[in-house]
Amino acid sequence: MNDETTDILLVEDSQDDARFFTRAIEESRLGTRLRIARNGVEAMAMIFGVGDPDQAMPVIWPRLVVLDLKMPMVGGREVLRRLKGNLHTRSIPVVVFSSSVEKRELVESYHLGANSCVVKPTDFEEFRKAVRLLGQYWLQFNQPSKP
Amino acid sequence: MRADQQLKASLKEIDDLKAALDQHAIVAITDPQGKITYANDKFCIISKYSRAELLGQDHRLINSGHHSKEFIRQLWKTIASGKVWKGEIKNRAKDGTFYWVDTTIVPFLDDDAKPRQYVAIRADITERKRGEAAREHLAAIVNSSDDAIIGKTLKGIISSWNPGAEKMFGYRAADVIGKPVTILFPPELVSEEEEILRRIARGENVKHFETVRVRKDGQRLDVSVTISPIVNPAGEIVGASKVARDITERKRAEAEIRQLNLELEARVAKRTAQLKAANEELEAYSYSVSHDLRAPLRAMNGFARILEEQCHDQLAPDARHAIERISANAAKMGQLIDSLLDFSSLNWRPVTKKPVTPAAIARMVYEELRPESNGHRVEIKIDNLPRCEADPTLLKQVFVNLLSNALKYSRNRNPAKIKVGWRKEADGPVYFVQDNGAGFDMEHAGKLFRVFQRLHTSDQFEGTGAGLAIVDRIIQRHGGRIWAEAAVDQGAIFYFTLGRSPVKS
Repeated sequence: MNDETTDILLVEDSQDDARFFTRAIEESRLGTRLRIARNGVEAMAMIFGVGDPDQAMPVIWPRLVVLDLKMPMVGGREVLRRLKGNLHTRSIPVVVFSSSVEKRELVESYHLGANSCVVKPTDFEEFRKAVRLLGQYWLQFNQPSKP
Repeated sequence: MRADQQLKASLKEIDDLKAALDQHAIVAITDPQGKITYANDKFCIISKYSRAELLGQDHRLINSGHHSKEFIRQLWKTIASGKVWKGEIKNRAKDGTFYWVDTTIVPFLDDDAKPRQYVAIRADITERKRGEAAREHLAAIVNSSDDAIIGKTLKGIISSWNPGAEKMFGYRAADVIGKPVTILFPPELVSEEEEILRRIARGENVKHFETVRVRKDGQRLDVSVTISPIVNPAGEIVGASKVARDITERKRAEAEIRQLNLELEARVAKRTAQLKAANEELEAYSYSVSHDLRAPLRAMNGFARILEEQCHDQLAPDARHAIERISANAAKMGQLIDSLLDFSSLNWRPVTKKPVTPAAIARMVYEELRPESNGHRVEIKIDNLPRCEADPTLLKQVFVNLLSNALKYSRNRNPAKIKVGWRKEADGPVYFVQDNGAGFDMEHAGKLFRVFQRLHTSDQFEGTGAGLAIVDRIIQRHGGRIWAEAAVDQGAIFYFTLGRSPVKS
């Protein structure tokens, strides 16, 4: 069972960053289908619906989850822990995409199963480039495990 | 003839007696005025004068000065009145040494009962006197000691008791001599005595045994006791001497020190925990600051860019310039945040010293920086710097900041000249980075290493003002020093040391 409507699920509380991300994705003209959750709670609801996140089958199967770490209430770390803790969702690639990644958080993120960690560039050109490369790599080059 | 024979026999007897006396005693004869008229061999030997030197001399020749005038006056009064005098006299030999003689002086009277001569018969008692003096000396030591010195028998009965013991335990000698030593023991420690007596009987010492004893008034004392067997000349153990020292004060001081140490340890542990918490808080704060400050910067930068891209054709040149300035300032602020974080992270990041080769680090850094000089002519000289111990990452940062400064401030020179060198000083090598660039006025040198303080405007030379502050902090964390020498338009030299560490050539 695959969800054919979502390529990237962006979990991002900053509307500005979400907008830049969207813009960068659109500029790359790959027809990438992007959904945005504005915080951890919304992300969990999108993925698991009303089911128990620890064991429920997901209701959507994004090909990539891009995750901001620092968000109010349920943070990116918690989302990562749930996604990688659930047998059904743990093969979904997750890229941590945060303004600054403290070493301790880097270690913790990989320990929880993050597939990649990328620091969000401050400069808009760099940001655009990072988003474009992320999309190219994870959606075009990377071979996912087919659920 | 018969009388003659009798006389001969009498004289012979007198000679024999005299010979026997000369063998036994020191004999001297003086006239009533004290002039020596006869001295036997023994007198010559002990006084170390020859007979010729003694005869005819006043007997005061051998006076030692030891005895009082009164003593001498009594002596003369006695013998002058025809009575025998007995006593011990200290005399002085020719070589200045002293000797003691047990003396009997017999006056011989003439017919009108006046002394005709005095015969002094003496025995050498110098050895005995010396022994007595030694004993008195020892007794004085025992009596004047602050330690309690107690003699006891093999059955533990007190046999002697010095004033120190009197003072320490509050009993007078008469109170305790003949009593068991256990009267000084607290009831629960009386059993110690059995073991002590057993060891003494085996000829062993008990040394610096710390225990508790009780005064007459019931007060307890911490004491250090040393007990040794007393051995008589025949080699038999006849008792024990016990030296007790009051260590109550020492014990109290020790307890106080222990208590202070515990408090100190607790305080250190508390401070360490506080410091650790403060560091963690600072780290979290820095992280949060960097995250929170960067997000709006990205927004400024991003929207300025979008505005420019989308509305480029509608924008007047002034407006386009304004947008450019927004972007440039956002970028500058990003750099400031990075510098601030780099700088503050030096406060908590551990410094891990390892043997390093500073010259290799400096060369590597220069290779990395060279592209930034945009083909400008630079003459660089990196000397063979001595190896030392430093945190490699941080030392690299030192060279990055100093060399990029050197390149930056010398870019108006043709050619720019940069030298990385060192000189030997008493407390280790002093490294330096020298350029022939813009330099600065030494009057402002004090501001040089302060964070965000700059000696040049951004229009002249770009920068955030954190570079040298970071270098300063790194050098500080290594226990080293940094200073600079410069003059306006004469270039600058930055010197630094890396603290005491074994230097390998």
